[in-house]
Amino acid sequence: MTPRRTNPLSPLVQAAPAIPAAILFLLGPGAGMVSRGDSRAIALVIATAIVGYAVFVGLSWLVWWRRTFWIDADGDLRMDSGLIQRSARRLQLSRLQSVDIVAPFLARLVGLVEVRVEVAGAGDSRIVLRYLKRDEADALRHQVLATARRVDPAPSPDQPDRGGLADPPGPIDVEVGAPLALVPAGRLLGSLLLRSVTAALLVATAALLAMTILTQGPAGLILVLITGGLPILSVVTEFLANYGFRVDRTTQGLRIRRGLLSTQTRTIPAKRVHAIAVISPLLWRRWNWVRVSVTIAGVESDQVRPDVLIPVAPRDEALRLIAEVLPGVDVESLPFERAPARARWRAPWSWSYLACAITPQVIACRSGRITRRITIALHARVQSVRLTEGPWERSLGLASLHADTAPGPVRVAARHLSLDQVDALAQHEVGLMLRARQS
Amino acid sequence: MATGTDPFTAPGWVPVSPRLTTARRITLGLEYLLVLAGGIGIAVSPLAVGWLIAYAAIAIVVFAWAWWLIARRVRSFGYLERDDDLLVVSGILIRRLVIVPYGRMQMVDVTAGPIDRWLGISTVQLHTAAATTDATIPGLVPADAAALRDRLAALGEQRNAGL
Repeated sequence: MTPRRTNPLSPLVQAAPAIPAAILFLLGPGAGMVSRGDSRAIALVIATAIVGYAVFVGLSWLVWWRRTFWIDADGDLRMDSGLIQRSARRLQLSRLQSVDIVAPFLARLVGLVEVRVEVAGAGDSRIVLRYLKRDEADALRHQVLATARRVDPAPSPDQPDRGGLADPPGPIDVEVGAPLALVPAGRLLGSLLLRSVTAALLVATAALLAMTILTQGPAGLILVLITGGLPILSVVTEFLANYGFRVDRTTQGLRIRRGLLSTQTRTIPAKRVHAIAVISPLLWRRWNWVRVSVTIAGVESDQVRPDVLIPVAPRDEALRLIAEVLPGVDVESLPFERAPARARWRAPWSWSYLACAITPQVIACRSGRITRRITIALHARVQSVRLTEGPWERSLGLASLHADTAPGPVRVAARHLSLDQVDALAQHEVGLMLRARQS
Repeated sequence: MATGTDPFTAPGWVPVSPRLTTARRITLGLEYLLVLAGGIGIAVSPLAVGWLIAYAAIAIVVFAWAWWLIARRVRSFGYLERDDDLLVVSGILIRRLVIVPYGRMQMVDVTAGPIDRWLGISTVQLHTAAATTDATIPGLVPADAAALRDRLAALGEQRNAGL
C-alpha cells in the first residue's frame, strides 16, 4: 500500500472550532475602529487578518501534506507526520486490539469519520487518523483487519502475562448475525429520568418551584437552577451519548455503537472483561430494567471508554449480553450466602440484600437497597483479596471482603458478612484464584 | 482455616521493626515544629493568655495521644509469607488484611525516605494490576526488605511462568 493522506478537508474540520473565537477576536477591536472611522487602522486589521489566515491555512495544509499513512510489507501500520520535527509511528498489526470508527459532529456534517487503530502495549500505542471518507475508512478498517489476520502469530509462550492486560487477541472483528440489543430512545430517556438521584432532584425541584410560586419569594429560584439544572444537564449528556445504543456480536467480542451528535463504535473483547456490575435503581424495578457496567483492562481512559455494556435493558436481555462476555455465568442462579441478621445494626436498609457467592468461575457480591447492584469478577482476573473490619463491624463480629480487580467502574465488595463467613470465603477465593490462573 | 478464629490475629505474623515507631515519632516531632510556631504566634499576639494556655493544653494532649497511637499502629503491621500468597495486616481502628497470590504481583517496590535511611528501615510495597491492592509493609530492616523483595520477585516469576 502506497503512502496516503487523510482527506483534504481535514485541516478545515480540525480548525473549525477555533473560527468563532477568531471572529470575536477580530470583531472587538474592529468594531471600535469602525465607530471611530479610522480607515487606515481598519485596512491594517483586515490585512493582518488576511495574512494571518493565509499563514494559518498554509501551515495547516503543510502539516496535512506531510502526514502520510500506509501499511508496510511487514504488516505494520505506519504514520509519518510533523512539519519541523518529523515523527514516524509504527503499529504492529499482529498485536491489534481494536479498529474503531468514530464520527465526531463537525466531521460528520461533511461526511468524514475518524479511524482509531489501537494495539496491545503500554503507553500511547495507537494511531488516530483524522479524517477519512466513510467508505475509505471502512476499506482501511477491513484492510487492517485482513493484515492483522494474516500476520497474527501464535501466542508466544514466553510472553509474560501481565495480569491479563496483554492478552494476545485474535484480531478478527466481523459482525455475526442480527443485533443482540437495541435501546429505543423512549426507554433510554425514561430510564435516565428515573435514575434515583435524578428523580429525587427533579421532585425536589418541582417542590421548590411550587413553594416559590406560592410564597412569591424569588430566593428559591437560584436553588431551582441548581437542583433542576444539574439533573437535566446529566440526562441530556447521557441521552446524547447513548442514543441509538446498539450491541452486535462479532467474532472478537461485542461491538457497541452509540451516540446522537457524534457516533462511537467500540469493541468489547470478550477475553478482556474483568468484572461486571448489574445495577437496578429503585424506580426501574417496576419494568425490571437494569444497567450493566464492565471493567475492561488495558483500555486507557478516553471518551469512548466502553464501560457501559448496556445503559438500560430488560433484565433477561441484559443477562443474555452478560452470557456473551462471561460464558457460563448464570447471574440468576448464583448461590448467594447472605449477611447475618445482626448486620441490620450496621446497614439497616440493605442488610437483607447483602450477600456473596463463589462459583468455580466467579465471585459475586450483592449490595445496595435503593439502587441494587450485583457485582461479578472472574477468579482469573481478581488481583488480590482484601478483608476490612471497621470499629462498628468489629463490635458486631462482622467484616467485609473486597476482590480487587483492574481499575474500572466495578468494585466487587461483600460488605458486613460475619467474620467466619468472610474468612471462609477469602480462603476459598484465594484457592480458586490460584487454580483459575493455572488452568 | 478453621472457623471461629479471627483471621486478623492468626498466629505467625512477622512484626515490623520497632524503629518504625521512632521514625514516625520523629516525623510527628517535625510536624509539631509548625504547632510550636503557631504557639509563638499566639504568644506575641495581643490575645489573652488564656488562649495560649488552651492552645498548649490541646497540643500536648494531642501529642501524647499521637505518640501512644504510633506505637500501637506500628505493632499492628505484620506480614506472613505462605506457600502461594503473601498476607499483609495493618490498622487499629479499621483493620485490613490483604492477600496477594505471588502469581498476581507485577512489581515490588522498596523505598526509604531520609529519616528511614538514617534509622535503617525501608518500605516494601507490592503492586498488582489492581490499583486498590494496598499491600505496603513499612519498617523493614534494609537487608530483610531486599531479601523479601528478591524472594517475592522469584516466587512471582515462578508462578507466572507456570501459565
